[in-house]
Amino acid sequence: MTVHTPQSQPESVAGEDEATESFGSTQEASPADRGTSGTGAPPEAGAGWLRWGWRQLTSMRTALILLFLLALGSIPGSILPQQGADPASVQQYYTSHPELAPWLNRLGLFNVFAAPWFAAIYLLLFASLVGCVVPRTFKLVGSARTPPPRAPRNLARLPHSSSYSSALSPAAAVDGAAAVLGGQRFRLRRSAGDAPDHWVSAEKGYLREVGNLLFHLSLLGVLLSIAAGGLFGYKADKLLVQGQTFADTASALDEIHPGRLVSDSDFAPFTLTLNNFTATYIESGASRGQPSDFDADVTYASSPGAKPGNYHIRINDPLSVDSLKVYLIGHGYAPEFKVTGANGQVTYDAATPFIPANTSTFMSDGVVKAAGATAGTDLGFMGVFVPTAISAGGTLESIFPAADAPAVSLIGYSGNLGEDSPVADQTVYQLDTSGMTELSGSPQLLTPGQTWKLPGGKGSITFVGVKQWASLAITYDPGQVPALICGILALAGLLLSFFVRRRRVFVRAVPAAAGTGSVVIVGGLTRSDASGGFEEEFTELAAEIAAAEPSDNGQTDQPKPGA
Amino acid sequence: MFRAKRRTVVTVTAVVAVLLVGALTVTLLTQGKDSASGSTTSDGVVEYQAVQRPLAPNVTGTSLTGSTIKLSSYRGKTVVLNFWGSWCPPCRAEAPTLQVLNEQYSSKGVAFLGDDVGDTPTNALAFIHSASITYPSLNDNGYLVVADFSDAGVAVSDTPTTVVIDKTGHVVGMVLGGASYGQLTTLIKDAAVN
Repeated sequence: MTVHTPQSQPESVAGEDEATESFGSTQEASPADRGTSGTGAPPEAGAGWLRWGWRQLTSMRTALILLFLLALGSIPGSILPQQGADPASVQQYYTSHPELAPWLNRLGLFNVFAAPWFAAIYLLLFASLVGCVVPRTFKLVGSARTPPPRAPRNLARLPHSSSYSSALSPAAAVDGAAAVLGGQRFRLRRSAGDAPDHWVSAEKGYLREVGNLLFHLSLLGVLLSIAAGGLFGYKADKLLVQGQTFADTASALDEIHPGRLVSDSDFAPFTLTLNNFTATYIESGASRGQPSDFDADVTYASSPGAKPGNYHIRINDPLSVDSLKVYLIGHGYAPEFKVTGANGQVTYDAATPFIPANTSTFMSDGVVKAAGATAGTDLGFMGVFVPTAISAGGTLESIFPAADAPAVSLIGYSGNLGEDSPVADQTVYQLDTSGMTELSGSPQLLTPGQTWKLPGGKGSITFVGVKQWASLAITYDPGQVPALICGILALAGLLLSFFVRRRRVFVRAVPAAAGTGSVVIVGGLTRSDASGGFEEEFTELAAEIAAAEPSDNGQTDQPKPGA
Repeated sequence: MFRAKRRTVVTVTAVVAVLLVGALTVTLLTQGKDSASGSTTSDGVVEYQAVQRPLAPNVTGTSLTGSTIKLSSYRGKTVVLNFWGSWCPPCRAEAPTLQVLNEQYSSKGVAFLGDDVGDTPTNALAFIHSASITYPSLNDNGYLVVADFSDAGVAVSDTPTTVVIDKTGHVVGMVLGGASYGQLTTLIKDAAVN
């Protein structure tokens, strides 16, 4: 390698080396070639090891491998059921694959995006990108402030060159060429005024590196946005029966998956009422019973006192309120029951959500828990709800998902529900019958309006009617919009770095052999000409430089591109 | 000289990146659960510093039996406000304790009030009768009172939660989850000390 001393360096072959060499130094930082130099054997010393490791981490190859791993790691997230999105399916997977499921769980495959190995890939990619972008920024700033290199001695040896004879003196000819190049927004470097030879170096295409940088920064931005979503966002579920209102507070929600930095007071206090829920099913044909439309008619207010609005939430048509999105994710039936105790007092009167056990017929399971007036007089019921009931050989079946002929089948229990213990860990969908006795041997079938008088004067239960419930997912992802913007910027940066060429044009003039005038040589050089076209640009440019000459006898050589 | 410069750049970058990644890792690994301005002690008790007590919202609602309840009409009394539901086992379990405290403190300027969430009046009243609860409860199926308190900076994040409000209408503190006799008497006594 030659040591450059720009001030006193005589014109030599080193000049030509310089013209290409500087490209070489930017080459190292370009994405396509990043890291080719970092693959050498690791050095012995401790600090050397560190530096070697760092160079490995920030190399393009590592970044690509990590990006690939990130994509690969997301695959199980879309193939296997995920705890966060669909816990019921995870349970189902456990039942159907009792051997495999615990192992998958140990590998975090039921919660991929929260798994430590996923976080490791993510963080390493982040470090790799930071380690690449920061030095690159310095480099860009440096290169933006460095003038173009000196013109090489022999321009004819460059990939593109042409020459013409000029009537002007070498200095004036070069001045003219510089004016043309400057007019085309090239960055110029002129030979010293008193030097024996005259040249101008011009460089263009700094946008390429800017695009490159933009791409990397935007990629970082995408990662940061996703992280912001994970830290400050949340996802919550709420089951709402027709006519019911709820306020978005931590205790009102059925299930919350908060980001790491979400506290209970961060929930937006919007309120929402489910006025009506309609599910439309195909009535006939091969796909009879398939849903054709879901519509949750809701009234909402962005805060408890605010002006209410109305909206129809449909599948893929969520409600946007307070920078939250409210999606419709499920529905079902909530039969209304009225339970009267032995003393004649009504102890239970509510629409009770039943959970669909079969999503094509909407045969659903649920429980009714009516605490008694005194200890030991609690009543409990396990129920099966069928929206369109037929009796097939003595067993109750549902033949259509709409509530055309609803019926419930109930098994009654009396005794102690065990609900008054603070550690009772049963949900409203479970009935603990350990302290109870079954009321009668066979299940009791009820249609709307019918009442079952319980044996032994223990009271009665009335199947009042049917309401529907809708399950809503409330999501807050502050990273969504920034991630989209960063994605677009990354694409723009990538396009810039693809289509903009870093290119250099040199013009050198020497006195003509004849005595007056000069011979002007124009040379051009580009690094990666991925999108092509420099040849044409150079030809045009050379012609323009020659044409700028106040022509008298100027016989112009044809440019010889690619010489 | 060029090489030395490059080394500085790499070192600076390394330090910056390690710091960034470190910070991110720490935030990812620590469960950030800080309560706004109160000082949380163990067992779900939140107690606010005397000067930082948030003002309770001006709640107006209907009781389970249909009469109007205004929180503002309780000014001058210490209020123990219990968020509960008949469907919630720990609420049912703590109710007798609240009733005992109600009987003990009613003559000492302490009023008890319930806020029945996610429930129906019939189910709630059935429980109130069987547990012989004598203090009134707001009918709050939609958790709207809870939202009012959240808006006021008091995150009633669990059912049950018991909030203690002093004579001036400021929140002294709360017990998230089932409350014990001792926890509540401590908060009631703190409410008297302004």
